[in-house]
Amino acid sequence: MNSIQTAGALLAFGFALSAQSADARPVSYPSGWTVMQMNNGDASTLHVHYSPTFQDSIGLYSERNWENDWHFTGLQYNRLVKRWNSPNAQANLYFKAGAGQADPFGDGADVEAAGFIGIGADWETRRWFTSYEARAFDLGFTQDARQAARIGVAPYIGDYGDLHTWLMLQIENQPEAETPTTVTPLVRFFYDVQLLEIGYTPESEELMLNWIVRF
Amino acid sequence: MKSLMIALIAALSTSMALAQAEAAAVSEASAQTLVTAKVNGMVCDFCARAVTKVFGKEDAVDSVHVDLDNGEIHVTLKAGSALSDERVASLVKKSGYDLVSIARDAV
Repeated sequence: MNSIQTAGALLAFGFALSAQSADARPVSYPSGWTVMQMNNGDASTLHVHYSPTFQDSIGLYSERNWENDWHFTGLQYNRLVKRWNSPNAQANLYFKAGAGQADPFGDGADVEAAGFIGIGADWETRRWFTSYEARAFDLGFTQDARQAARIGVAPYIGDYGDLHTWLMLQIENQPEAETPTTVTPLVRFFYDVQLLEIGYTPESEELMLNWIVRF
Repeated sequence: MKSLMIALIAALSTSMALAQAEAAAVSEASAQTLVTAKVNGMVCDFCARAVTKVFGKEDAVDSVHVDLDNGEIHVTLKAGSALSDERVASLVKKSGYDLVSIARDAV
């Protein structure tokens, strides 16, 4: 029943909002826009940002947390703290911060000022991928923290312009969640400026659906 | 009569030389240059889109091709246009990569 309610809520929310853990590349090229929509059953988020430089981006972040029943809306700033480029690999370290308001649905409490900070890191070659992200919210009426790590492998090496496919495994930890630690196998496709991820979390019987586009 | 012949030959020679120089100049102006920038860190197609966006905004650039296998950016310049090494290095950095080398060839 819980999964049916979650699926219904996701459909109602459509692709409007999205889950945070795939937010590993939060900056784009100079003057580039990015739309990230992610859903994993526990939360749906939307992140729309603009990159004035390849090291910074700023935009809107909205998260509807189904698990703990709150909604955050605010501005998010992302900073590429450090990038390591080598002939066959790239690694990145990011800092993220957001400020806005949070709405605790259903318990009669007022909307409160809220914010979050986070870090993200990734390392990838054309064959292998790893990433880690941690984020902590202060919502006024409650606090929330989460972390997620991923490993991935590309079953084939595509040329520039081909459809690229990645098989990934995500381990996520949310201490306040009903199921604190989950493992989600997922597949990532990207083609041109579009990225799509589809996964399934057996512990919570929830579907993951993430979509990113850059323009 | 001999002087006239010499003058005529000299005039013809000068005219041909000028025509050859002009043709060479026209050919040079219409030739395109392929700039190959070898970079580090370009391993992701989705992220390498930055290269085509950043280089594509330059007036001198006719087309951009990304070679992920060799970590190279191939930039074809418009005929008669130029893109300095300093500018190429700056654009590579703006794209988020580290420049290794630059090579230039006539197309």
